[in-house]
Amino acid sequence: MTYYLTTILVYAAVDILACLAISLQFGVSGIVNFSFIIFQAAGAYTAAVLSLPRDTANGGFQNYILGLNLSFPLPWIAATVVGAVIAVPIGLVALRRLRSDYQAIAMLVLSVIASLVVTNTPAFLGGAAGLSLVPQPLSDKFNPYSDSYQWAFTIGALILAVIVFFLVQRVINSPYGRSLRAMRENEAAANALGKNAVALKMTVFIAGGAIAGLSGAILVGFITIWAPSTWLYPETLILFAAVIVGGRGNNYGAVLGALLVPVGFEEATRYIPPFGPPGLIPALEWVCIGGLILGFLWFRPRGVLPERRRVFPPRRQVAEVGNPSASRD
Amino acid sequence: MPVETDADPVTPIAGLPAPDQRPLLVAQHVSRHFEGVHAVEDVSLDVLPGRITGLIGPNGAGKSTFLAVLAGTLPASSGSIIFDGHDVTALPAFRRARRGLVRTFQLPSEFAQLTVLENLLAAAPDNRGDTLRGALLGKRYWKGDEDRLVEQARILLDRFRMSAKESDYASSLSGGQKRLLEIMRALMLQPRLLLLDEPMSGVHPSIIGDIADYCEALRDEGLTILMVEHELHMIERMANPVVVMAQGSVIGQGTMAALRQQREIVDAYLVG
Repeated sequence: MTYYLTTILVYAAVDILACLAISLQFGVSGIVNFSFIIFQAAGAYTAAVLSLPRDTANGGFQNYILGLNLSFPLPWIAATVVGAVIAVPIGLVALRRLRSDYQAIAMLVLSVIASLVVTNTPAFLGGAAGLSLVPQPLSDKFNPYSDSYQWAFTIGALILAVIVFFLVQRVINSPYGRSLRAMRENEAAANALGKNAVALKMTVFIAGGAIAGLSGAILVGFITIWAPSTWLYPETLILFAAVIVGGRGNNYGAVLGALLVPVGFEEATRYIPPFGPPGLIPALEWVCIGGLILGFLWFRPRGVLPERRRVFPPRRQVAEVGNPSASRD
Repeated sequence: MPVETDADPVTPIAGLPAPDQRPLLVAQHVSRHFEGVHAVEDVSLDVLPGRITGLIGPNGAGKSTFLAVLAGTLPASSGSIIFDGHDVTALPAFRRARRGLVRTFQLPSEFAQLTVLENLLAAAPDNRGDTLRGALLGKRYWKGDEDRLVEQARILLDRFRMSAKESDYASSLSGGQKRLLEIMRALMLQPRLLLLDEPMSGVHPSIIGDIADYCEALRDEGLTILMVEHELHMIERMANPVVVMAQGSVIGQGTMAALRQQREIVDAYLVG
């Protein structure tokens, strides 16, 4: 039971982090980052190859670069940094000149390319077989199979999710967040009003990449394996579905979406009694995810918890002595 | 760095008062081509400070393209743009805006899912919370700037009689109100030169007069305006000089009364 609960909660923390990053990029800033999953993967691979010993250890049954056997928290910090760093070249190529729909296509293609490159270069990050036996954080000091370790890991992951939630909340409720929303609504107009749209997009892209990298590190630290099959491009679509269902541009919506779609929806389908040919239920899951996106975009495009309207406190009475009756209706 | 402008002297044209001040903006031989289409061809123009300069011409004359090139929304294919003594030809639009060269758009360009007040605040410069670092430092760090700018925006809303709409989404405004919002939003930057692209198009006649009143009041306060507009009676009322474009080139300039005396201009545009 402990394993089941902690697994659900760690996945919830990881998906909340991912949805917060997508909400910041897509919901607040209008960047359709269909390559999101490769940032999470980059974080996971970084944490893995920095935590693992040399690939000649364990009988040399897997191949990968580095293998520095670093102690926690260095692999997680490096994963966050790598998530941010790889956002720079990707952003410079995709965000500077391309229109938003072409940006989305370019990023989707990039996601497929990245998966193919890693799959077909086994000496780099383990190829299709991926990496396994990734040491869990502080596993040299504590027993990672104990209930107390599992709970400590879970609480740590949830605390990180809460910290990121409040940081993103600060950003979107600030004047900077307002500039991001202005850019989302009309980039040319924002530019004409002195906003450097490329810099705004790059900053958000890098920040989202860092959060994604951290989420990957947490996930690989818990499940101890990572392979291309865990980060295929459709995984990004599930996270987008979560943000669309929960509410774009609203952090509470992102959290709700994370709990409803990648965690709740996928968990619920486990309890469906098997029927039809093998693979039918997972295939139907994808149909349902697509239906969920279409249904919400059609009937409730702003999600369950829409972006809230910002109303400013009224003026003090003294300043209000003007001519309110002359207002234009 | 200030640069010396070697613009051609403004050709004296009947009815146009001799420029008594240094031009705020000088466009020299500006061209903009799209895949062989010469949308703007060798246009030179001086914009004198403290005036409303009208830019008129038939559809497809290149007026809006020229405005976009001046604002930096589109790069010039050739030519140079000197604003306030500085060559801004290579500057992107956002840098020109920060220098006080601010434009509005031909089509409504409100930030639809922001409230009216937020639209104004989004345009305001000098807010400490308008950087990632400032945002992360929290509300206490930027609240002072925010309060000051909210007050500044509310004064504008009062002036344009839009206070009652403060908390409405900009998408819910009428066409005329969106035009006023765009002008107010541009004013939040405290521009030196305001480029207005058809501010009266698609607007209820009652608001057209209001927009003209506001533009004249702003001019009287010292703001320089370059305005593309098809409402010729309003251009005649407000603008001096008026520049006429056709097929990407300037075909004349002067007061509206003087332009009406020039047959080729009447034939090209002022029919009726």
